[in-house]
Parts: sequence; C-alpha cells; structure tokens
Amino acid sequence: MRSVLFAQLRTHAARLIASTLAVVIAVGFVVGTLVLNETTRSTVLDAVGAQYVRTAVVVTSADGSSLTDDVDAIARLGSVDAVAPSLETSVQASVPGRTGAQFLLVGTVADAPDLRWQQLATGRLPDRPGEVAVSERARAAVGDVLTVTRTDTDGNETTSEARVTGVVDLRGDPSAGLYGRAYVVPDQARSWGALDPTELRIAATAGFPADQVRADVATRLRGRDVEVLTGAQQAEQKAAGVTGDATTLTAVLLVFATVAVLVAGLVIANTFAVLLAQRTRELALLRCVGATARQVRRSVLGEALVTGLVSSAIGVAAGIGLAAAVSALVEGTDSPIPLAGISVPLYAVLAGLAVGTLVTLLAALAPARAATRVAPLAALRPVDQAPLRSRAGVLRLVVGLVLLLPGVALMAFGVLRASVMIALPGGVLSFLGVVLLAQRGVPPVVAAAGRLAGRFGGVPARLAAGNATRNPRRTAATATALLIGVTLTSAMVVGSATTRSTATAGLDAQYPTDIVVESFDGPLPTGLSALLDRVDGVVRSAAVFTADVSGPDGEAMRTQGVDVAAAGAVMRSADKMVLPEPGQVLVPKWLAPAWGVTDGGRLTLTQEGRRLDVTARVVGEGSPVLTAADLRSLVPGAGVGQLWLRLSDADPDAQVDTVDRITDVVAEADPMAGVTGVVTMRDQIDQVLDILLLVVTGLLGIAVVIALIGVGNTLALSVVERRQENGLLRALGLTRRQLRGLLAWEAVLVAGVAAVLGVLLGGAYGLIGAASVLSPLGDIHLAVPWLQVGAIVVIATVAGLLASVLPARRAARTAPVAAIAG
Amino acid sequence: MSVPVMTVPGEPPAPWATAAVRAAGLRKTYGSGETAVHALAGVDVAFAGGEFTAIMGPSGSGKSTLMHCLAGLDTATEGQVWLGGTELTRLRDDDLTRLRRQRIGFVFQSFNLLPVLDARENIELPMQLAGLRPDRAWLDAVIARLGLRERLGHRPHELSGGQQQRVAIARALLPRPDVVFADEPTGNLDSCSGAEVLGLLRSSVKETGQTVVMVTHDPTAAAYADRVVLLADGRLAGELIAPTAESVLDALRDLGA
Repeated sequence: MRSVLFAQLRTHAARLIASTLAVVIAVGFVVGTLVLNETTRSTVLDAVGAQYVRTAVVVTSADGSSLTDDVDAIARLGSVDAVAPSLETSVQASVPGRTGAQFLLVGTVADAPDLRWQQLATGRLPDRPGEVAVSERARAAVGDVLTVTRTDTDGNETTSEARVTGVVDLRGDPSAGLYGRAYVVPDQARSWGALDPTELRIAATAGFPADQVRADVATRLRGRDVEVLTGAQQAEQKAAGVTGDATTLTAVLLVFATVAVLVAGLVIANTFAVLLAQRTRELALLRCVGATARQVRRSVLGEALVTGLVSSAIGVAAGIGLAAAVSALVEGTDSPIPLAGISVPLYAVLAGLAVGTLVTLLAALAPARAATRVAPLAALRPVDQAPLRSRAGVLRLVVGLVLLLPGVALMAFGVLRASVMIALPGGVLSFLGVVLLAQRGVPPVVAAAGRLAGRFGGVPARLAAGNATRNPRRTAATATALLIGVTLTSAMVVGSATTRSTATAGLDAQYPTDIVVESFDGPLPTGLSALLDRVDGVVRSAAVFTADVSGPDGEAMRTQGVDVAAAGAVMRSADKMVLPEPGQVLVPKWLAPAWGVTDGGRLTLTQEGRRLDVTARVVGEGSPVLTAADLRSLVPGAGVGQLWLRLSDADPDAQVDTVDRITDVVAEADPMAGVTGVVTMRDQIDQVLDILLLVVTGLLGIAVVIALIGVGNTLALSVVERRQENGLLRALGLTRRQLRGLLAWEAVLVAGVAAVLGVLLGGAYGLIGAASVLSPLGDIHLAVPWLQVGAIVVIATVAGLLASVLPARRAARTAPVAAIAG
Repeated sequence: MSVPVMTVPGEPPAPWATAAVRAAGLRKTYGSGETAVHALAGVDVAFAGGEFTAIMGPSGSGKSTLMHCLAGLDTATEGQVWLGGTELTRLRDDDLTRLRRQRIGFVFQSFNLLPVLDARENIELPMQLAGLRPDRAWLDAVIARLGLRERLGHRPHELSGGQQQRVAIARALLPRPDVVFADEPTGNLDSCSGAEVLGLLRSSVKETGQTVVMVTHDPTAAAYADRVVLLADGRLAGELIAPTAESVLDALRDLGA
C-alpha cells in the first residue's frame, strides 16, 4: 500500500494545494504569534533591562538601606572587576528656547567602561561634573546649557548649569516617553541630591562567569538584607513588569490563532472529502483487487500525515517570515510594544509542526472512515444519482442545544449583572453550540435563500439553489467555516464601535471641554482669550467669569458666570453638564444646606449693595454658577476665571503640539495659570481602539481567507461529482456562461448566507460583549457601524464568488458528451 | 439472408435536399500518427424529416460518435453536419448550445434527469434555459400522451425507470425540435417499459411528424424505426427500409457482429 500512497501523492500533489494552503496559513499564524511574543520579550529585555543585560551581577538592598559601605569590600573580590553604585535623583531643568522647566529623572554614568550601558544617538557620555547626557524626550541638543533647579527636602532651591554632551537612545524602553532622563557622573548626581545607592552593578573580571561572581558576592554579603542576582535575572525581573501587557496581547493573538486552526481544520476535512470523492472509483478499485478497509484507511491517513508535515513545515517558515515582516514594520514606528529583530524559540517551531500535523490528521479521520465504506462495486457502477440525504446526528443536536441554551442564559445574566466574567464563558459556550447546530440550521436557510434567488436569477439560480442543499452536511461545513470567521470579525467591529461610542460619550459628558485654562490666583489676563484664539489648532474659546458673591448666609462665595451660548459652542456634550438659565443659579449640593435652599427655591444674592433674585437649582459639585449676564449685573467688574477651548479634530500628534503651544502662550501671559484637558485622552482611546481593531480584523481576516478556500473546495467537489449532470445541462442547452453562473450562484448562496448569519450573530455577540464589559462604567451607547458591517457581508460574498471562478472554469470545460459517456 | 435495399457508401442516400439532418465526409479521429483511432472514417448520411431512423452497428462501429457529431455534442475532426439549412460544424460553442436547446431534443440511456428538479421542471428545463415559455396546449398534449400527469411533482428518484425515460422524452419533445436524438433509450429498461418508450417515440413520428434518430444495438428496438442505417468500423455499411427484428439481425450478422 505504501507504493500506492506515494504514487498517489506524486500524481495528485496539485490536488492537495488547497489543504496545504489552509495548513500553511493556520500554522504560519500560530508560529508568527509565538515568535512575535518571544521577540517582544527579548526586545523589552534589551530595552528595559539595558543597564543589567551586560552586567554580571546586580546587588539590590532589600530594605532600602545604603550599600555605599559595601562597594569597596565587593571591589576587592578577585572575580569582580568593577562596581558601580546606581545613584538616582530628579531635577527641574529648563532647556534653552522652551518655556517652563521640565522634570528630569537623573541616573548615573558608571566610571568603568564595562558598566556604561547607555547607547548614544549623538555626542558622548559626560565624564565630569557640569556635563550631562539626556534622553530624546528632553528635546535638548548637544551643546545646550541646561539650567537645573534642585529642590531639597527642606524646600531650598539650588540652581546650577550643565552642558549637554550627548543624547541617549533609550530605544524600545516603553517608559522612555514619560519623563526626560539625564545621565551624569556620580559626583554630579550626589551634588544634585542623589541619596546613597541601594543598587550596585558589578562587572566580572575576564574569565569569571556571572554565576561564580554572584556566588562570591553573595558569600561576601552573607547576613545582609540584600538580593544578589545575575544581570540576566535582574533584567528578566524588570522586563516581566513591562511585558505583562504584551503577554495579554499574546493570549488574545493565540485565541485568534486557535480560531484560524479550527477553521483550517474544517477546510482540511472538506478538502480531503473532495480528494476522496474524486477518487471513489480508484479506492473502490483498490478494494476490488484485494485491499482491506484498513489498508485503504491507512493510505488515506498516510497521505494526511505527509501533507500535514510538509505544509506545517512551510507554515513554520511562513510564520517566522511573517513575524520578521511585522517586526521590521513596527521597528520604524512609534509602537507601544517595542520590537527589534526576531528571536525564534524552539517551542514555537515544534508547536507549529505539531498543531499543523495533528489538525490535518484529525481533519482527515472522518473522510478516511468514509473512504473505507466505499464498496468495491462502486468501481463498476456509475455514481448514485439520487440526492444524498444525510441525517444530522441527534447527538449533535442535543449537544448543540445543551451548549447553546445555558450559554445564552449566562450571557443574559452577564449583561444584567454587568459582568464580563460571566458573559464571556456564556459567549464561548453558546458559540460552540451555534457551530454544532449550524449543520442543521444552515441548509434550510440556504434553501430559503435559494428559493428567493431562483425568482430573480432564472434557471441557473434555481438549479444552484437545489445543488447547494443536496449535501447538507457539506454545505453546512463550508458555511460554518466562513460563519465562524465572519461572526468573530463582526463581533469585533460592532463591539469596538460600541466601546468607542460609549467611551467617547462618557468622556464628552464628563469632560465636555477639550482644554480648560484656569487661573489659581485672580482673574486671567485680559487679551489671553484673543491670543489663544489665534493659536493654530484652537477652534474657539469661551470665557467663564468669576467673582465673589454673597449668598443668603452672608458669606462670600466664589461664583462663576457662564455665557451659555458661547459655552455651548465649545462643549462637546451637554449631557452631564448643566448650564444655568437667566434668573437661575446652580447651587452645588454641599452648599444648599448652608444657603438654606432646596431645588426650585428662591433666594437673593448680594454684592456691594447690588441684589439679584434668582431660582436655585441644586445640582452637582463645585461652585455656584450664574449666567454671565446675571453675574455681571451683580458684579460689573467680574474677571475671567476660566477659558474653555475647543480644538480642531486633528490627529493626536497635532493635538499634542497644539496643547504645547497653548501651554507656552499661557505660561508667558500668566505663569500661575494651569492648562488641563482630556483632548489627548480621547485621542488615545481612539488610537488604541483603532490599532486593536485593525490588528484583530486582520487576524480574523485570515480565518475568513482560509474559509473561502473551503468554499472553492466544496465547489470543486460539486464539479467533480456532477460532471455527468453538468454535461447533461450543456447538452440540453446550458451555455458555458450559464454553467459558470450556476456555480457562481451556488457560491454566492453559501457564502452570502454564511456572511449574513455571521454578521447577525457577530453583531449580537459584539453588543452583548460590549454591554457586559462597559455597563459598570456608565450608560451604554450601542453603535452598529452599518457601513463596515455591510462591507463584511459584501466582501465575504464577493470573495465566495471569486472562489467559484476556478471550479467554474473547470465545469465549463465539461463536454456535453460527458452526459452520455457517464 | 438478403438485405432488401442497400445503397453504396459515399453516394448521397435518401432525399438529400429535404433531409432534416445530414452529414458529409464526417471524420472523427482520436490521437494522431501511429496510434490514431478513426472512430468515424468518412461518413455521408442524411435523415429525412418526419422519419424514425435507427443507427445500428457492432460495438466500436462509431454509432455513438456519429450521433454525438450529428447532435452537436461533439466536434468532428473533418467534414460537415447540417441541421436543416444550418451548418453545425461552423458554429461557435455558444451558438451551438443555443441551437441544441431550441432545435434538438435528447433522450439518453441513463435517463439523465436533474435530481434537484421535479418532473415538470425537468420537462420545461430546455425551454427555460432558452428563456422561452412552453406552449400550454402543447405541454398538456405531450404530458397526456406520455401519461405523466400524475407524476409531475415527483423528483426523478421517486420515479421508476420507465417513468423517468418518459419524462426525458417529454423534455425532448416539448420545444418541438427539428430532430430528437435517442441514445440507447431502452438500454436501462425492462422489455415492457422499453416497448412502451419505443411505442411513444414511434407515435410521435407518426402523429406529429417528429424526426427521430435513435442509436441502438437492440434489433427489436430498431424494428420500430422506418429505416435502419448500419455502421461498421466508422463507415456506413448499408441501410434497411422498413426493418423487422429478423432482417436487422441478419444484416448485423453479415457485418460480422
């Protein structure tokens, strides 16, 4: 039988392309994910643990006590070449040409060259006090002189100057963007207030391994409350904190990889069904000449094994390539997860090979069993003409319902209790149930869609409708593969749209203004408003007046006056923000008892002999609010206390620049004024969701592509099985074009039904998911991005149509004589 | 032992000008060079309108190939085929397909109905492919004549072999084709159903003037025809007018079958 197996493989290699492709894509996906994860980890290790990676040993004081006295003792060890105490402090520094001072974290440059870890973008490292190397974030250039202000614990300020000698490249360090860094020699660090070191970095004498040094140091420090680790260990420990998030991402990616593998499994099973159906006669002939059922099965499984191994190997290579491409792409950009080069762990390769081969074998099991049921006589008689009636298993139905119903109940409960931890397992359960039940549910829907199509599409559409439901099991398997991909994709699209609109609406309500400029002592300078209006990126501003007003209790109270029309034009949402009407005062809840008013009560405000009768509205926190006109009728000289700014909807980088410009203008006009706002927060949420959506949709797109290969396969099978029938149709007057149309309709029916069902299911899952995740956070704004959802249906259907092209070409070549020749 | 009438191969037989279908110098060769097989080695033949003709010959004589070429199902290597005034051998695939569905009817050995369509849909299929509405009166007449009224809503697998073949005949007759080609129409039927099917073909010729060309190797079936054309080794080997089962058998024996 082995000779037959290899002869089969040689002869029919081309037939295996579809399943090979499915395995390659799925395995590539799995391996790519694992490799990217490992790459992220090692990149982060390099970046975050940069100061440890090439350090032999790191000593850390566990109780925060000084390690200064230990430096000499350790340095005298034979295996130790040099010791560098890590000194840390922080200063305010102003860079020439920039308004205001910035916060700089100060670290040390070791004396020993081996312990200098900083990578320079330009310039050199400092080697004497008065020199400093800064990170790129500090936005200083080599040669700049920084004015450094150090405030000690008693509040005394000392000012000194330092010349920038170099700019340090912190590469992928995820914390690099937060604050600027400065690196100075230890003496300078001490004069800037660095405390005694709690960390020592140690270089080994040439020839001594790190473990040996670690042991020596640990022995010397026995009894002290310190932690002694090798540099590698220390780096890992530090990186773990940073990559926590990246590991979550890997888990998410692996979930999608699992989806891809499952879909690939369905496709492979279909492919083998196609291959074996094409060979029914061949297999029957083998049985005729004496092959046992077991030998036939072994030959089929052997074929699956070889296919699985070969395509998994290709898949592993493809995955590594994919990871390399992603890494190369990301390296140049400002990614939150740093990547540089790639590292390929052995387990990723092995996992890829195992997953691909096993899935192929498992997927081939059912077709192999079917193959053994081929009767020897099948070699001698034409294929049965009666439509196949497969009975959907009762077991499948029961298991499907057992999964679906509790799953749905769990989801409902999860939404009601606003708990994603309850809804998620419910979603998984119910989806598994849906996949099992699809076998029963999909064919009737396809049949119904077929009847509809038959009305418009003429004879080819009617025939296609009949054909599409002839083998319900196969149609269901094909549609299910696509259904899974489309469901998950649309769940993501709808879910993230809802998340976005909920989050944005929440932010808008909570922080209706993009930017608030506020003075902490006295009114803002007049004319600031006009200055800010001219800043590039500012759309308009609204002034909020402020003045002291006496309430019914006679106490002066800082009161705001809002120009309702102007404020309305600046605010993004008035949902949570209550504005006063003329003749109304907004009284914060805490103040109402003191003023002795309830909601709707009347009260009189006074100031310097002027009186104003108003209605109270008790709402919110903060200070009392009047309309600007009312406040000025009471206090004609009221100054501007706040300026509300609305920015243009530019990209986040541009908005950050706008905020920088606003800060500069405000700092110049009024050093005591503050600039706050959520504009950047809003953008960050948008950006994160966009990236997430893009990545996830891309990944699920792979599942959809694999599923479409399945659609092509199923049609190829139809073409093979219905050769005689297609010949008959051609003989009876079906043109080639109509025959291609027939196959196209079949593809559109299967793919279209899967896409529509998938979008409906996915939409529901997306909304349920978003509701259960977000409802603890406030009101949910359900959003369905109709355009994208419609695009999913159209794309899946059109892709199904494309998948029919090759089988249809083949069918169109069927000679009419085939009908008679049998 | 004597064959009543025999024509010399190569000479235009039958009334050439009024023929419903005719072929001239028809050759069909598979392969090339040394291994070439000549399924048809130069056939000139004509079939008069309103006549029931049987094509007979031993296995491998080329009778099926001849029918495929005459019906535009297969392309000839050389020679011409006319359906009335149309030369099939010059048509492109699409025109040929359109011609098939409007002017030619088929009855096959293995019935060849579409399993997804019921009897009525199968009968109307060629008309619908052509985008035509069947003439109701004619449809009723055909269905009545073939005794299918009770079976119209059944799928092929719910019908007996004889019934399936009657559906196939109805399908062939419905568009009122210039000619109906029948390929071993009784090959898969018991003798009783077979006789019924042949009687129906016979009566459609007699009553409506339908031209029928039938390929068969069964002398009894051939006896239903007005004329039998004999084929051997891809060449015309003679013909019989008003054949009987015995005369056909004798003629075949002479061919060495």
